[in-house]
Amino acid sequence: MKSETINLYKTNKNSIFRIVSVPRIELLESLGLRVGTLVEVQNRYALGGPVLLRVEERYSVAVGKDIAAQIAVTEVESA
Amino acid sequence: MSCHDIKLDEKVLAKPNKILLMGNPNVGKSVFFTQLTGINAVSSNFSGTTVTFLEGKLSLGGMDYTLIDVPGTYSLAPTSEAEAVATRFMESGALVVICVLDASNLERNLRLALELRKFDVPVVYTLNLMDVASRRGITINAALLSQELGAPVVETVAVKKQGIAELCAQLEKVLSDGESCGASCGKCSSCPKSGTSDDSWLTAKEIARRVSKKSDEKPKFVDKLGDAMMKPWPGLPIMLGVFALLIVVVVFGGRMMRMPLIMLVDGAIVPFFRNIFESLFAWIASDGATLGYRYLFYDGGFQTGYRMLVDGSFQSVAYYTYNYYSGGFSSILLNVLIGEYGIFVISFQWIIALILPYVFAFYLAITFLEDSGYLPRISVLFDNLMRKLGVQGGSLIHMFLALGCAIPAIIGSRTATTKKERLMIATIICFAVPCISQIGALIALMGAFSWWMTPLMAMFAILFFIIVALLASKFIKGKVDPLILEVPNLLMPNPRAYLRKLAIRMKHFLKDAEVPMLAAVFIAAILAGTGVLNAIANQPQVQQFMTGWLGLPAEGVVSLILGIVRREMSVAPLLALNLTYIQAFVAGVVSLMYLPCLSVFGIVAKEFKIKTAIIIFIGTIVSALFIGGLVNQIANLF
Repeated sequence: MKSETINLYKTNKNSIFRIVSVPRIELLESLGLRVGTLVEVQNRYALGGPVLLRVEERYSVAVGKDIAAQIAVTEVESA
Repeated sequence: MSCHDIKLDEKVLAKPNKILLMGNPNVGKSVFFTQLTGINAVSSNFSGTTVTFLEGKLSLGGMDYTLIDVPGTYSLAPTSEAEAVATRFMESGALVVICVLDASNLERNLRLALELRKFDVPVVYTLNLMDVASRRGITINAALLSQELGAPVVETVAVKKQGIAELCAQLEKVLSDGESCGASCGKCSSCPKSGTSDDSWLTAKEIARRVSKKSDEKPKFVDKLGDAMMKPWPGLPIMLGVFALLIVVVVFGGRMMRMPLIMLVDGAIVPFFRNIFESLFAWIASDGATLGYRYLFYDGGFQTGYRMLVDGSFQSVAYYTYNYYSGGFSSILLNVLIGEYGIFVISFQWIIALILPYVFAFYLAITFLEDSGYLPRISVLFDNLMRKLGVQGGSLIHMFLALGCAIPAIIGSRTATTKKERLMIATIICFAVPCISQIGALIALMGAFSWWMTPLMAMFAILFFIIVALLASKFIKGKVDPLILEVPNLLMPNPRAYLRKLAIRMKHFLKDAEVPMLAAVFIAAILAGTGVLNAIANQPQVQQFMTGWLGLPAEGVVSLILGIVRREMSVAPLLALNLTYIQAFVAGVVSLMYLPCLSVFGIVAKEFKIKTAIIIFIGTIVSALFIGGLVNQIANLF
C-alpha cells in the first residue's frame, strides 16, 4: 500500500499522503505543494468539486479537480 | 506595465522615508498597518496594475516615516502583478522592511523572508499570529530564529496589539544605526548561496525545523468551526445562516437607518430649501423684477445687448425681462430646483435617504465577512457548481464584492488566471449581479408591496445569474483554470482594522458615485421640471412600448433614461408612481437586467476592449426590455 502511487483526486478523506509528482504551476509551488510535501485530505466534494488539503499540518489549500488529478501521491498513513 | 504608468508611481517610489510592510497574504499585515499608523490612510492604486496599497504616516522617535502596506505575496518571483509591485518597492530604497511572518505557518513564510535578504535593506521580522500558533501547539524559539535570520525578530499578536511597542523599539534601533544583515554578509548560516527556489525551500524548511516545535494540541473551537464551514454538512446550513444574517443586516439595518433619514429629509431639509426658493422666487417676481428693470434701464451695455438680442425696441426688452423672471421660466426653474423631481428634493430623497443607508449596511456586513476569512470557504464549497457554470469557485469572491459595486470587483478580477475567467466574471457582473445601491432601491420598491416580493425577485435574480453564466461560458472562448486557493484561518476581525476598511470603502463609494449620482439627479430634475419628460412620455411610440409591452406607466420612461447613468436610478423614479404588483415586479426585472452604470462601461472598456463594453451595453438593454416585457405579457395572461 505504501509504495503505490495514485492521483490525489482519487484519494480518501482523512488520510495522509506524500506528493510524488506535481505539475509545474507557480502558485502550487508558492503554496508549498512540492514533491515530498505531506498533505492530509481534509475534504472531498461531490460533483467534481475540489480536494481540500491540509499542508504539512499547517494550512489549508483547496485544489480543483483537474489539477488534483495531475498530482501523484503515495499514502503515508490512514487515520 | 508600460512606461507612462511608471512615471506616476515614481512619486511613491521616490519618497525617501519609506518603511515597507511585507508578508504572505493573510498574515495580518493590514492589522499591523492600522496599529502603526494614525487614522489617515490613503488607499492607492499602483497605476498600470490593479494592485492597491495603503500608505500612512508612522511616527518613530519624533520622526515621521511613510509606511507602505505592500500587497501580500508568497514570493518575489515576478509571476504576478502583486509580486512585481512588491519587488519594485524593495528596489526603490526603503529605510527598513517590516516582514510579517505567520508563526503558525513558518516554513512557507520563511521563503519570502529569505528572499527579502537578497536586497540591501535592513529587515525587522515579526512573528505574528502567535496566539494561533500556540493554540495549535506550535512553539517557536524567536531568539534562535533571530540568530538564523541575522535580524531582529519580534513576537506579536497584532489584533490584540501585543508586541507592537517592541516592534517600534526595534524599528527605531535599526533606523538609528542603519546596520543589519542585508545582502549576503556571511555572518549567518542562512545567507542565500544561490537563488533557485528549491534552495530557498530547503533553507526555509531547515530553519523552520530548527526553531519550531509542534505538539499535538486538540483543535479549538474557531479552527473546528473554520473547518466545519468547508464541509457540505454543516457548511451549507451555516452558509444559509450567514446569508440570512447578511440579508437581515442589509434589509432591516438599511430600513432602520432610513427611517430617521427620511424624517430628516422630508421633514426638515426639503421644506427648508422649498421655503428658501419659494420666498426667493416670490421676491424676484415682485421687487426683484423691478430691480432688474431698473438695472437694465440705466445700464447701457446690457441695454444694447438685450436690444440686439430681442428686437431693438427698448420696451420689449423690459417686458421680456419681466416676463422672463416672473412668468413661465421662473416656474420652470422653481420646478427644476424644488418641484416633485427637483434637484433639492431627489438628491436628498434618493441619495441620502435611500441609497446611502443600504450601501453602508452592506459594507458593514461584507467587510466583516471578508476580514473574518469566511468568503474563501464559500468558494471551496461552491467550486463544483461554479465549474458547471463555466467559472471556478474563486470567482465567487469577486461576484460577492460586486454586490457592493461592480467597479472594484471588475478591477479585482485581474487576479483571475485566464482571460476567459476574467471575461466571464465581468459579463456575469454586468448582466446579472446588481449593486447594493440598486438592491437598496429594489428592496424599497418591492418592500412596499408584500414580504414575498423581495424573495421572489431574489430567486429570479439567481435564475438569471445561472442562465447568463451558462450562456457566457458557451460564447466566450478559452479555458478556465481549476481552483488553487489557500484558505486563511477563520478569525475575529480586529475592530480598528475593520472600521478603517469600512471608512475607506465608504469614502471610495462617495468619491466614485457622487458625480454620476448628482448627474442623474440633474438630468431627472431637468427632464421632469421642464416638461420634456411629459413630452417624451406622450410620444405614441413610447406609450405603446411602456404601457403596451412593459405594462408600466409612460412616465416610467424616465427610469430607463436615468438607468443608463446609474443603476439605482432605474428604480428610484418609480417609487413615487403607485405601481401595481405586476408593474413593480416587471420594473424590478427590467432594472435588474438593465445595463450597469456608465462608470462600469468605462472600466470594462478600459480593462477589456471597447467592443466588449458595446456588446454588454446593447446586450443588457435588449435582454432587459425583452424579458421584462415577456414577464409582463405572461403575468397578464393569468
